[in-house]
Amino acid sequence: MRPAAAELVDSREILPGQWLQAYHAPDLAVGSRAGQFVHVRTGDFSGMVLRRPFSLNTVDAATGTVTIHFRVFGRGTEWFTRLRPGDQIDLFGPLGRPFEVDPRSRHLLLVAGGLGIAGVRMLADEAIRAGRQVTLLFGAASAREVYPSTLLPDEVEYVVATDDGSLGHRGFVTALVPDYEAWADQAFACGPAPMLAALARLAAGRRGRLGVAKLGRKRGGGRTDPTGSPAARRKAFLQVSMEQNMGCAVGACLGCVVMTMSGTPQRVCREGPVFAAEEIAWEGGW
Amino acid sequence: MSRRRPLPAARPALAPATRILAPTRPAPAEIPAAEVDLTVDLGRGLVLPNPILVASGTFGYGVEYGEVVDVDRLGGICCKGTTLRARIGNPTPRVTETPGGMLNSIGLQNPGVDALIEKYAATWMTWRTPVLVNVAGESVHEYVEVVRRLDGVPGVAGIELNISCPNVGMGGLQFAIDAGAAGEVTAAVRRATDLPLLVKLSPNVADIRPIARAIADAGADALTAINTLSGIAVAPDRRRPLLGNVYGGLSGPAVKPVALRIVYEAAQVVKIPVIAIGGVTELADVLDFLAVGAVAVQVGTAIFADPTLPLRLVDELAIECSRRGMATYRDLIGSALPARTGRPSAKGVEYRP
Repeated sequence: MRPAAAELVDSREILPGQWLQAYHAPDLAVGSRAGQFVHVRTGDFSGMVLRRPFSLNTVDAATGTVTIHFRVFGRGTEWFTRLRPGDQIDLFGPLGRPFEVDPRSRHLLLVAGGLGIAGVRMLADEAIRAGRQVTLLFGAASAREVYPSTLLPDEVEYVVATDDGSLGHRGFVTALVPDYEAWADQAFACGPAPMLAALARLAAGRRGRLGVAKLGRKRGGGRTDPTGSPAARRKAFLQVSMEQNMGCAVGACLGCVVMTMSGTPQRVCREGPVFAAEEIAWEGGW
Repeated sequence: MSRRRPLPAARPALAPATRILAPTRPAPAEIPAAEVDLTVDLGRGLVLPNPILVASGTFGYGVEYGEVVDVDRLGGICCKGTTLRARIGNPTPRVTETPGGMLNSIGLQNPGVDALIEKYAATWMTWRTPVLVNVAGESVHEYVEVVRRLDGVPGVAGIELNISCPNVGMGGLQFAIDAGAAGEVTAAVRRATDLPLLVKLSPNVADIRPIARAIADAGADALTAINTLSGIAVAPDRRRPLLGNVYGGLSGPAVKPVALRIVYEAAQVVKIPVIAIGGVTELADVLDFLAVGAVAVQVGTAIFADPTLPLRLVDELAIECSRRGMATYRDLIGSALPARTGRPSAKGVEYRP
């Protein structure tokens, strides 16, 4: 975890206003896990004083490249689109805690809303490498914003929902989840807060509806892992990757917190961005 | 290099043959950068190893940046604002970028003074860098109680009072905007501790001078200036203010001119040292603040973009002094102040009548 120079290798607009950029950053490419993020500095400090956090979209240890996927939202993201191959930027990472997959999970359900795909994309690679089956449920406003299937590994089952029905299921992606929750051993989601809250409600009712055994019963029976620890998250059915306006990204400024059920705000950059769904106070709590 | 620089008086006369070969411009008496005196004496035994500190709220408790920054080379660390009881802070969003700066409204989220001592004091004790605990409260009693608990704790090198908090006893008016209230809380804390006491000025006032004077008269060892400027941002959908708390504090390069003005004014009316904060992003900013009378600076918002900036400033300041032939950085202080006020104090006032 150090600020390090990275060279832009490839930059393209994969969807209207959405960019995929590949950077040569060998240290990041070997040491990062799905769910972690990088904090990237813009070239114009006097105008834009904050770094920008991006999920690590994919990493390739063989070539030493990492990719980020973002939507042009303001001046910072606009600045990144004007970079050309060969340009150097300052990547700080990997930061945050990764997704925790239970070693016994065979079937992983990934749920992504819009740009939330960037948060779970790398987990698909990791899971397939580990021989797991992956279904990705993807929701977007319309067909023109649907993540291209060519950018996904062939092994992933890809199911799409659009709000206007222009492609796939008509309606929210959360409506697809009940079809898969019996199949899935664990679920991982990233997207808008209302989508994550709806998924958390589904996950909370899942055990009652399906009568499925809770993961982690056999080993270490009777022992409860402290909330928020990697072991506790590994046993959670649903893990979510949270988003928040961020300052320092190392836990110093307390800018990027989310309220948790314990009543204490937790830092997205340090305790997150991945949380077990039951850790989060979805109704707020301030 | 200035051609007008006078030759050192003690320079021995040169032999005629040498004189022809000698350079037309005298080389400044360079002092090795490592030998430049950067220490800052704030009184009551608090001597900072150099005048580059990190500002409260931007460096956590010093441990967060541990993997990235060698904290032992900093001049001082002002830790996050600490209150008597734990606080959960403000609703999110808490930070947003603005042109040349950022707004924050963390709302003093902190574990409370007792947990702070338990968690961090032992670590701080092992550091060479002094750690100043930033203290906030809602009443004079609360400030005094926090400071009393910090008094005598090994690892706590001093107190920085954040007086930009609403005074519940005064109808929510901030201590910092009223000379009487600011002086009262400073005096009360002064009676409670012998620790070095720094008081942080708010820029959100009509005239800083009576307030600075009242704080100095009440027994503060140094002033720090400035806290953030009050501001708001609007959400992208324009249906509400953006920050969860509506109001936030503006920091970053955008506030530097305001900070310069307040340091300039405060340094002329008090005899105690003034430590500047506000938009320091490069050595030129440090030199500017020293010129208007600051004895040291705190780096804040810029740390988020470049965590290694404070250490680089320490090195650059030493090199700058060495290049100018200065044995101590203190010769840089106050050069832009009006001549009649004389040099501001670079030393804490330990005893006063």
